[in-house]
Amino acid sequence: MDILKVRDAQDVEQAVRAAIASEQPLEIIGHGSKRMVGQPIATNAVLDLSALNAVTSYEPNELILTVQAGAPMADVLSLIDSKNQQFSFEPMNTSQLLGTPDIGTIGGMISAGLAGPRRIQAGGARDHLLGVHAVSGFGDSYKAGGRVVKNVTGYDVCKLLAGAWGTLSVMTEVTLKVMPRAESERTLVLRGLDDIAANKAMTAALGSPFDVSGAAHLPGSALRTTQGALGEIASPDQSVTLIRLEGITASASQRAVSLSTTLKSFGVAEILEDAQSAALWAAVRDVTPFAASGPRAMWPVWRIVTPPASGGALGQAIAKGSQGEVIYDWGGGLIWAALPPSADAQATQLRKLVNAAGGHATLIRAPEDVRRAVDVFHPQPKGIAALGERVRNSFDPKTILNRGRMSRGLGT
Amino acid sequence: MTIMMPAADQAVLARREAIIAALRKLVPGEGVISSAAEMLPYESDGLMAYRQPPMVVVLPDTTEQVSKVLKYCHENGIKVVPRGSGTSLSGGALPLADAVLLGLGKFKRVREIDFDNRAVVVEPGVTNLAISQAVAHAGFYYAPDPSSQIACSIGGNVAENSGGVHSLKYGMTTNNLLGCEIVLMSGEVIRVGGKTAETSGYDLMGIITGSEGLLGVITEITVRILQKPETARALMIGFAEVEHAGQCVADVISAGIIPGGMEMMDKPAIHAAEAFVHAGYPLDVEALLIIELDGPGVEVDELIKRVEKIALGCGSTTCQISTSEQERLLFWSGRKAAFPAVGRISPDYLCMDGTIPRAALPLVLRRMKEMSAKYGLGVANVFHAGDGNLHPLILYDANKPGELQLAEDFGADILRLCVEVGGVLTGEHGVGIEKRDLMPEMFSEVDLNQQQRIKCAFDAQGLLNPGKVFPTLHRCAELGRVHVHGGKLAFPDLPRF
Repeated sequence: MDILKVRDAQDVEQAVRAAIASEQPLEIIGHGSKRMVGQPIATNAVLDLSALNAVTSYEPNELILTVQAGAPMADVLSLIDSKNQQFSFEPMNTSQLLGTPDIGTIGGMISAGLAGPRRIQAGGARDHLLGVHAVSGFGDSYKAGGRVVKNVTGYDVCKLLAGAWGTLSVMTEVTLKVMPRAESERTLVLRGLDDIAANKAMTAALGSPFDVSGAAHLPGSALRTTQGALGEIASPDQSVTLIRLEGITASASQRAVSLSTTLKSFGVAEILEDAQSAALWAAVRDVTPFAASGPRAMWPVWRIVTPPASGGALGQAIAKGSQGEVIYDWGGGLIWAALPPSADAQATQLRKLVNAAGGHATLIRAPEDVRRAVDVFHPQPKGIAALGERVRNSFDPKTILNRGRMSRGLGT
Repeated sequence: MTIMMPAADQAVLARREAIIAALRKLVPGEGVISSAAEMLPYESDGLMAYRQPPMVVVLPDTTEQVSKVLKYCHENGIKVVPRGSGTSLSGGALPLADAVLLGLGKFKRVREIDFDNRAVVVEPGVTNLAISQAVAHAGFYYAPDPSSQIACSIGGNVAENSGGVHSLKYGMTTNNLLGCEIVLMSGEVIRVGGKTAETSGYDLMGIITGSEGLLGVITEITVRILQKPETARALMIGFAEVEHAGQCVADVISAGIIPGGMEMMDKPAIHAAEAFVHAGYPLDVEALLIIELDGPGVEVDELIKRVEKIALGCGSTTCQISTSEQERLLFWSGRKAAFPAVGRISPDYLCMDGTIPRAALPLVLRRMKEMSAKYGLGVANVFHAGDGNLHPLILYDANKPGELQLAEDFGADILRLCVEVGGVLTGEHGVGIEKRDLMPEMFSEVDLNQQQRIKCAFDAQGLLNPGKVFPTLHRCAELGRVHVHGGKLAFPDLPRF
């Protein structure tokens, strides 16, 4: 296999142009931490962006960070943390779920667009990507967006690139919005609720004026063998429902008390503070109950996005029908489902339930032969699928970039 | 008119009567307007220096009608300009002589309110404010709040990706949408998103939002709604130097405080506003900041104290803190009335809309003063200081020959300056026709070609809202051609492993 390690944007341009000329598709990687997500890509040439790892500029007062796409997430996170700032969409660290040693690069994080618990309040990766420099499948370097938070000049191309899994362009530099880290956080813990009651509690919390920034539910069975922060607070076979409040200390404390009162029909809430609370949400964000080092390592894992208020019913139906386990984030709007292994990761049954609920499901973890056999990304109605394909074609008509990663039909 | 629009297609104009007759079959009753007198209200939008009667106005009231009209126009090579309430400040809804003006004003229903999923499904002609009003009884609201919110339609908000005073904390339109139904130029109806936080596949809703009516006609929108903050209070802070006010904005943000709103006005804007609404603005200051904090009472009270201290540290000369809702609204009244207030001191004004990195503010204001002297035209500034979005109001008199041109040249210089200091041409008003010819200041031809290729994916014949956003139009076939560069010797000087 050819691995092309580019040094700058010109190298990327040159590599893509050469790939067009030789009709050679390229697999685009940073650290390769998410290579096993998506339909398997048929190619023997890899474009490695890990050397594009410089911080171009970081202006904490402007809430703006510009970095090259191959910059390690670990470095970027520690840089902004040093100024008490964060990506408020709480990007997921996929390393535990996927069993990779590394948390990847910023380009990979944006291309995957996997936002964490705070998505319900602060939006996703797409909402924080302000500008890009990229190379299209035409082999052209272009830029889109800008380096300011408020900008409507031209089409919002950044939205398309976030979550496109590298199938539209090779991003070489990205500008992101950063936000101040909250002074304090509090987490209400409710115990023993079933999925439906927990869904109701989370809906009530999110419909309250207390500015909830996280609402997750973990059934007891999913927690049984979980290590780490979630394992520590779990009691045997009892579910936990977590609701997070952030802000200045006086406000977070007071809202925690007020929200406990609002939710008193669901039980008496314990209140966890700061570090203990943060550890829990990191575990929810990274889906540690289904970690690759745990007992469900061999189970395929689905990520299901669905209307939040009916998430409990959907999750329950999935768990029951599949003999699998589910956990809930985003107040029920995000369901992670680990299902007992099967040739198609139970895709047909699962998608039938998800479609009926008005959601969509992506197979985030599964062996290669399974990913070859099923649609990893949710099949779309004909019209949208065709429009999406025309849009992809407008960036990469020769299907040079990550050929077929998002669509089985293209992976030839 | 100083901005040129594409030449009208005489062959289409020659068929006008037949086209009108065909459209009447698709949209019965009073949905087709063709008399010059009745079309008058549609001749311009919020960019009132430009007017153009359309070929015909069509006002459908169902998605099916929109689909039929577009399909007919698509098959017959007829251009279409979509329009919501017509409040665009950049000429996004300016008619074309040879185009159908497609008004969505009859799409006025709130289709569904779903408090549990915190979502509202509306038709595109519903006004921005009406959404908040429809859910206010349960303590909810729709966060983006463009100044024109009483009149502007949510469909127009999606087309323009409208912002508002609160966008620093709550985002623009794009950050508050869950789903939409659009009709493509071919007549095909597409639904993206729904009541879910994310759409599947490529983020088509993201690219449609802010596409200024060039990609599709929006016929239904699902927005997310939020609980109203428990309380809101404002500080009104005066500074003897613009630099001090700029420093205060930076210091508030570095202290980790994201206010609900943070607005700045310069001396001419303060004076105009005060004379108009008597909000009690200090007249002896160079810059005035209005900083609003919203959230739980205990948080707002604490942050008010912190902001006051920061302002003092930056040399504020006056500081008033609202103690009642009435007082808070009074502080805002001058800022909200700034445009009409300036309208009182000048026969006409041009409202610009660049965004700059906040740190560049003193430099930009200084340079603007120099330009004002050079052009001999006054300028008043209101500024969404929190997110660096400038609204210079250039004062001119359209009745004086050449002044509109002068004002436009001044405006163009301001926008070039915004780009020069690392900013952008438009923060919330859109490119439309107004900034169309300045696009090359910010984007190379390659950048613009990539954007136009996206347009081709939605509307290959370029029939939807042509002449807007892009300074030069290319044929899709030409844009889609892949050039094979050089020989097949791949990567001669790249390290291999």
